Amino acid sequence: MTAQNTRERLLDVKGLSVEIDGRGGRAVVVDGIDLHVTRGETLGVVGESGCGKSLTMLSLMRLLPNKIKVTKGSADFDGQDLQKMSARALRKVRGGDIGFVFQDPMTSLNPVMKVGDQICEPLLYHRGMSRQDARKRAVELLRLVGIPGPEERLNAYPHELSGGMRQRVMIAIGLACDPKLLIADEPTTALDVTIQAQIVDLVKQLRAKLGMSVVWITHDLALIAGLADRVVVLYAGTVVEDAPVDALFANPSHPYTRGLLASIPTLSDAPAARLSSIGGTPPEPGRRPPGCPFAPRCPVAMDICRKEVPKLEPISSEGSHRAACFAAHKALKAA
Amino acid sequence: MTLVQTNPTIGDEQDRPVNLWRDAWHRLKRNKLAIFGLGIIVLLAFVAIFGPYLTPYDFLSQDLQARNQAPSLSHLFGTDDLGRDVFSRVVYGSRTAFLVAIVVTAIALSIGTALGAVAGFFGDPYDRVIMWLTDMTMSVPNLLLVVVINASLKTPIARWMEAQYMATLNPFYRETIWIDFLLVFGSMALISWPPYARLVRAQVLSIRSRPYITAAMALGLSNRIIMMRYVVPNALGPLIVAVSAGLGTAMVLESAFSFLGVGVNPPTPSWGNMISDGLRVWQHYPHLLAAPAAVLGLASVAFSFLGDGLNDALNPRGTK
Repeated sequence: MTAQNTRERLLDVKGLSVEIDGRGGRAVVVDGIDLHVTRGETLGVVGESGCGKSLTMLSLMRLLPNKIKVTKGSADFDGQDLQKMSARALRKVRGGDIGFVFQDPMTSLNPVMKVGDQICEPLLYHRGMSRQDARKRAVELLRLVGIPGPEERLNAYPHELSGGMRQRVMIAIGLACDPKLLIADEPTTALDVTIQAQIVDLVKQLRAKLGMSVVWITHDLALIAGLADRVVVLYAGTVVEDAPVDALFANPSHPYTRGLLASIPTLSDAPAARLSSIGGTPPEPGRRPPGCPFAPRCPVAMDICRKEVPKLEPISSEGSHRAACFAAHKALKAA
Repeated sequence: MTLVQTNPTIGDEQDRPVNLWRDAWHRLKRNKLAIFGLGIIVLLAFVAIFGPYLTPYDFLSQDLQARNQAPSLSHLFGTDDLGRDVFSRVVYGSRTAFLVAIVVTAIALSIGTALGAVAGFFGDPYDRVIMWLTDMTMSVPNLLLVVVINASLKTPIARWMEAQYMATLNPFYRETIWIDFLLVFGSMALISWPPYARLVRAQVLSIRSRPYITAAMALGLSNRIIMMRYVVPNALGPLIVAVSAGLGTAMVLESAFSFLGVGVNPPTPSWGNMISDGLRVWQHYPHLLAAPAAVLGLASVAFSFLGDGLNDALNPRGTK
């Protein structure tokens, strides 16, 4: 990897592992994840529930609950390792350079604080703005995220707003300090489809306008197709495929990715046809099979897959499309 | 945008809760029972503070010519067996009641909040030890504990004070009323803190794991700001309700102790010892029992109503 390459990487996560210290011993939930985000890029992170998407993002900011700990790896943001940073320096990054939008707009806003005050919070704290200036900026932000009558909305409590409105407020808070990176953790899961489309359009527009990078966590592949530049597919706490969005949809290489794509229902399906699904369930953390974690469910599993863990290696000539699959590696060699 | 630095202390929590309070006040105003309770409390507090200017008689002055008189214009609540004006004594009793209620609740709240917050925030092993302590305290019958403390400590302390006085002739050691207050307040606070500790612990535990706390941390806010603006305001509703009810309970408790003879000593007027005295002669002079009992009941009910009203008012998600 060249130095040029490194400088372009806003976020560079290497070998990040997260373990839960539970009653039944320690369980690895995130197992040596590598991922990066370049400047101005939108990275989609997809995977099914429990694959470690949210934990990975929380662990980047060291926001994990008590019994969950990062055990290995580094996360360089803008040249500094977030994992080694002092608590004070980290607080400057949180909400300042990295904005976070949480999954559930219903519970992620402080119920006893007016939304205007909540938007002002990072401005007062990170920017040292006066209250009047912060309120002016809050009005701008609310207008930016498409909330009508922002002046009046400042004085609303979260419960007085609809789910879509609250999610917009969350995005406004995430964007308040013009972050270099916006991490959005399934921000549209709790919303209905029309609102979801509005939010996606909004984030696209804002990204173009503000030039920030976005990490968008979701389990909705259709959504990611229209939004992301590059997609990382997670399975059981590991990255199984990392590809530019077009390459991923045109040429999915990991059997898990293929399975995910195959299970998206389309209008051309026969009306009575069963929905396609991947057989079996993902392994529980702490009970991973010795080889490839997907091997037990994999239609093309070979002997080696049950013994050795495949590495994330390039499967295209220019190297931007990578997969952790012996079958895909073999196919490349054969070609 | 020009940065006009009008507010040098960034993240100052002074004026933010004001909005919360102002909104809560608007909601509280619409609750008739709560306003009734508040009115009674304000009236009693006024009477307690300005008592000396309101009463026509001194609470100690005896008039043996006019003993056990029924209520009349010159003695609103009548007179007792020593010819003392019952109205004046009830007014002075309100001073005792408020003093006891406020001091005891303040002590109990401080102990309870500190222990509860530590238990909730830091978890085991603090949590376990503090909860043992709480359960232990709650398992001892309240009245028994207070009687034991008073019976075992009052005399030794009084003797010690007397000895000090004889040795130093310092008039400070003659003020036995402070022993009373120390013991009554101390023992009442000792039995009153566990509910506050439990409440605060439960609040901190549940609030700490809420998504908006994680969201606040993701904004880079400091622990102090998160505590002051996110944890405390969300925990405040139940705590204020508990304090409001606790003030009423402390008044009733003090009366109960005075009634049993382990509270504030006569001749300091307390509603409890007035009830106790009145009870002996209530068949003949019911007003001696009725006056202090009615005022005590009223005060207790007023605090309950206010507590309920505050609970609704401080919760912006309420229906009103």
